[in-house]
Amino acid sequence: MTTDLNIPGSQSTPAIRSDWQAGLLTMQGDSYPENSYELFDQVIGWVEYFIGHESRPLSLELELVYLNTSSVKAMMDIFDLLEEAHLGGREISVTWRYDPRNERIAELADEFREDCTFPFAITPTRVET
Amino acid sequence: MTREETELLSWIESLLADPNHARHPLHEALELLYHYHLEEKARLERMVSISDNYQRYAREDHLSVRQRYDKALRRQEKLSRISDGFQQLMREHNIALKQDSTHDPLTGLPNRRMIGERLERDLNDAGRRSLGYTLAMLDIDHFKQINDRHGHETGDQVLVAIAHIIQQELRDYDLCARWGGEEFLLLLANTHLEEGRTIVDRLRRRLSKIPIVVGDVTLSVTASAGLSEHCAGEDPLRETLLRADQALLRAKRGGRDRCCVSHG
Repeated sequence: MTTDLNIPGSQSTPAIRSDWQAGLLTMQGDSYPENSYELFDQVIGWVEYFIGHESRPLSLELELVYLNTSSVKAMMDIFDLLEEAHLGGREISVTWRYDPRNERIAELADEFREDCTFPFAITPTRVET
Repeated sequence: MTREETELLSWIESLLADPNHARHPLHEALELLYHYHLEEKARLERMVSISDNYQRYAREDHLSVRQRYDKALRRQEKLSRISDGFQQLMREHNIALKQDSTHDPLTGLPNRRMIGERLERDLNDAGRRSLGYTLAMLDIDHFKQINDRHGHETGDQVLVAIAHIIQQELRDYDLCARWGGEEFLLLLANTHLEEGRTIVDRLRRRLSKIPIVVGDVTLSVTASAGLSEHCAGEDPLRETLLRADQALLRAKRGGRDRCCVSHG
């Protein structure tokens, strides 16, 4: 088991949390970090380690809003890793939640989903009234 | 091997094997030539085979580079497409924010900030302007009673209806802002005081005549107005607007439902 991630979110970085026992990785918020490689290397590292050392299913729960280009690239890299694992027989699932007042996020999440063959749900969050 | 070649080689072989020719003066030379030919032939076949393999390898390599290139290209395209999408989203948010920061959310009219900016800009452009402008501060009479009697929700809808009527009455180059509460500031461009008064009186008449219907409530409103024309060198926000405000106060004190002007 590797150390779980628990990175608090900021105005420019998403909150990132991993749960090795549950096989769960969550990311929430905006992502335009100054050094996105430093941030996402940890995430990619955790995903690679989990896939390499465990045979249990892995789930991602995302609620990302704005992503800059390097964050988009990092997410594509993560989805590629997941796709590879899925093709190798691993159970993978992704849920991307978005604010229904911002449908454009759903369209962009759908573009990410394009090359993925594992279950990838894009669901609106409940609106608080 | 062709049939002729096979036949030739087996003929030579049988000649060499025939004991009758063993002592022939050419026997040894033919035998050497025969073996030399076989070796050369094997060499040639090996060369052809190496060359074929090499060509196949180069072709496979080319294909895999090509595949990797296509894949990288598709990935790059996907990256730019999604990234462009996020940028567009950001742009739209900025436009919405700009709209929110310069407009009143209830009536959709420009707010204080926007008309303030416009007046500042006009002040800086003053040298280029041939005609001045007139400011009119418009206040809906006894609006508090509408809120008290019918509730704020209805009051808000009445304000929306009033904003709509004002905008219909003004010309394209005029500007109407919601100054606060039930106060509206009109910027009548290229307009002198007397013409401004005609416009505002026409607007006030219209407001008092048009029934405003909100749900099952039908009412009409009157308005008081104070006008001032911008004088050369005058600070629009500190001076011209103040004069319009003072004129409005006179209109209200004089019994409302009227227009007062400030002559500078």
